[in-house]
Amino acid sequence: MTDIAAQLVLNGISLGASYALVALGFVLILNAVGAVNFAHGDAVMAGGYIAIATVAFLPEWGRGFGLAVLPLVLLAAAMLGLILAWVGYFPIRRRPPVAVFVSTIAIGVILQSGADVLFGAAPRAGPSLVGGGNLSLGGIRLDHQQIAVIAVASLACAGVWALLSRTRVGRQLRAVAQDPDMAEAIGIRATIAIAATFALAAALAGLAGLLLSERYFVTPVDGATFMLKAYIAATIGGWGRIWGAVVGALLLGLFEVVVAALVSPMIAEAALYLAVLLVLLMRPTGLFGEALGTRS
Amino acid sequence: MRVLLTLIAAAVVAVSSPVSAKEPHVSILVPITGFLAIEGTAQRNGAVLALEEAASVVPLSQSVLDTATSPEKAVTALRRTLSRDDPIAVVGSIFGTQMLAMLPIAQREGVPIATISGTAKLTELGNPWIFRFFPGDSVVKVAHADYVLGELGAKRPALIYQTTAYGQSGREHLARILAERGVPLVAEEAVEPAAKDMTGALARVRAAEPDVLLLHLHSRPTALAIRQSRALGMELPVVAGSAMHQPTTAALLEPEELEGVCAETASSPISDNRAAVRAFTAAYRKRFDQEPDAFALAQYDGTRMIVEAVLAGASSPEGVRDFLSSQRFDGLAMAYRTDGTGNMAHDAVIVCYDGKSRIPAIVARYSDVNGVLAKYE
Repeated sequence: MTDIAAQLVLNGISLGASYALVALGFVLILNAVGAVNFAHGDAVMAGGYIAIATVAFLPEWGRGFGLAVLPLVLLAAAMLGLILAWVGYFPIRRRPPVAVFVSTIAIGVILQSGADVLFGAAPRAGPSLVGGGNLSLGGIRLDHQQIAVIAVASLACAGVWALLSRTRVGRQLRAVAQDPDMAEAIGIRATIAIAATFALAAALAGLAGLLLSERYFVTPVDGATFMLKAYIAATIGGWGRIWGAVVGALLLGLFEVVVAALVSPMIAEAALYLAVLLVLLMRPTGLFGEALGTRS
Repeated sequence: MRVLLTLIAAAVVAVSSPVSAKEPHVSILVPITGFLAIEGTAQRNGAVLALEEAASVVPLSQSVLDTATSPEKAVTALRRTLSRDDPIAVVGSIFGTQMLAMLPIAQREGVPIATISGTAKLTELGNPWIFRFFPGDSVVKVAHADYVLGELGAKRPALIYQTTAYGQSGREHLARILAERGVPLVAEEAVEPAAKDMTGALARVRAAEPDVLLLHLHSRPTALAIRQSRALGMELPVVAGSAMHQPTTAALLEPEELEGVCAETASSPISDNRAAVRAFTAAYRKRFDQEPDAFALAQYDGTRMIVEAVLAGASSPEGVRDFLSSQRFDGLAMAYRTDGTGNMAHDAVIVCYDGKSRIPAIVARYSDVNGVLAKYE
């Protein structure tokens, strides 16, 4: 029984860690432009397909090691983020936020259709990060892939924290997120900072896509599910709170696995949305307070 | 004046053109995009192949319209083809919700629809224009339960099913049949199609100590449940629903993960060694560069029966309907004949994987499960 409980917790943390990357990118863009990027979930989906496409170029023996293509996935996803910024955001940045919603929804649909045409509608399995197998720790079986997912996601989150809090570039990104006009006035190029934020968010989404695609597979229509997860995580953690969203995502992952095992998946599903409602009613600013004044 | 005369002349020519010059038309209205794109594409491919193969004997024109995932799109597609193409028959979506929206229009306009949708209600509405060429739950779930009890000798079955109409219908039939045979389910869990993790449901099922795991899930959740049950150390046999037999589902899993996995389905063309089915599989692969599944073969058979109707002299939608509702047709997957409500398919098979390849073997055949064919012999 202990091994099952440990396995469930590990699954929950692994899933939550992947959601955390999605939520992190979601909130970074939310803060940078003050609007929701509805193509963010589709960038996660695209990350899964980029991993599948790039791993095919590896020799047969290397295809089980997704870590080998991780830099390529990050790079390609970041490029996708830049394209998204220049096509879906900058041309309409002075228009009301609803214009950004519509343009990012349109780009999401284009990404979906593109994946459908290139890869087909059937679900596909992405590469494992470090190959199969598991290790036994005190009689508890720990899956290599899950440990690798948790490690990679933790490193990515730590990297973003270091970037935002310990580097000049990070301070510029935060300055633009807080007040782009003031940031421009003191010599920060807001356009470059916003583009960099889109690239960073998309890279995180692409990484999440790689991590999720092996265990949970990927289809062209997965984007909406990831958007919902990011929304819930951001709502629980506090709208616009970067680290609140990460904690919200971890709680979400644990909830989906552990609570489902305790009370059944259907009751857990209902309980999750009830919990979100309770958070909204009793603590409208989320568990860690709200960083943005208005909700998108 | 000259223009007016030209228009009048053109109109006279158009009106006097012989009707017989127009080829009979079959409209294929299936979901090629969206969450049922795999199944819809298989439907389209099966129908297109049947019409193309028949072209040398009886030329039929065809059109394909994507119904995606909404009833509105399906209705729009049907209206469009009725006004534009005047079809003698329609190949209808596998998506039951779309079929329910299209059926009243088909009845009003008087055009037969051949489908493989499993939604039970379609043939319970008293609509004489619907013909289903894929066995419903009242057939395949009998085979499912028979195999689990008869061949595996299970005493403690547990079930994980989908929350959708498809999942609930399968659950209802399985639970009832098993209970009637004195072996009720020891545990059952419903999961959302979008659920990312199955370990919660699997852990709950495992706690009931089942001796066989039954699945009635869509394609991806089926693969997910099998993979995660193995990761949890659940080595018990798995007997899944028809989604498992699809080559795209098996492709998600390693062959060793499939050891001990079986599935119910109407047919499995890639496993079937009969010469005619092998020829169909080869032709399908050549034409579409894909592996055919039971949906493709069922729609191929259904469309061939429409062709047979035309060959037998049917030249109108009413003629095709009369043929479909009164004749037996020996297709590649099985023999088809209506039960009086439009259910044409009455056979099922069980396929199993050996843990070494992703191609299953047919291990059991269940013919004429509800005795419809025997009634007319």
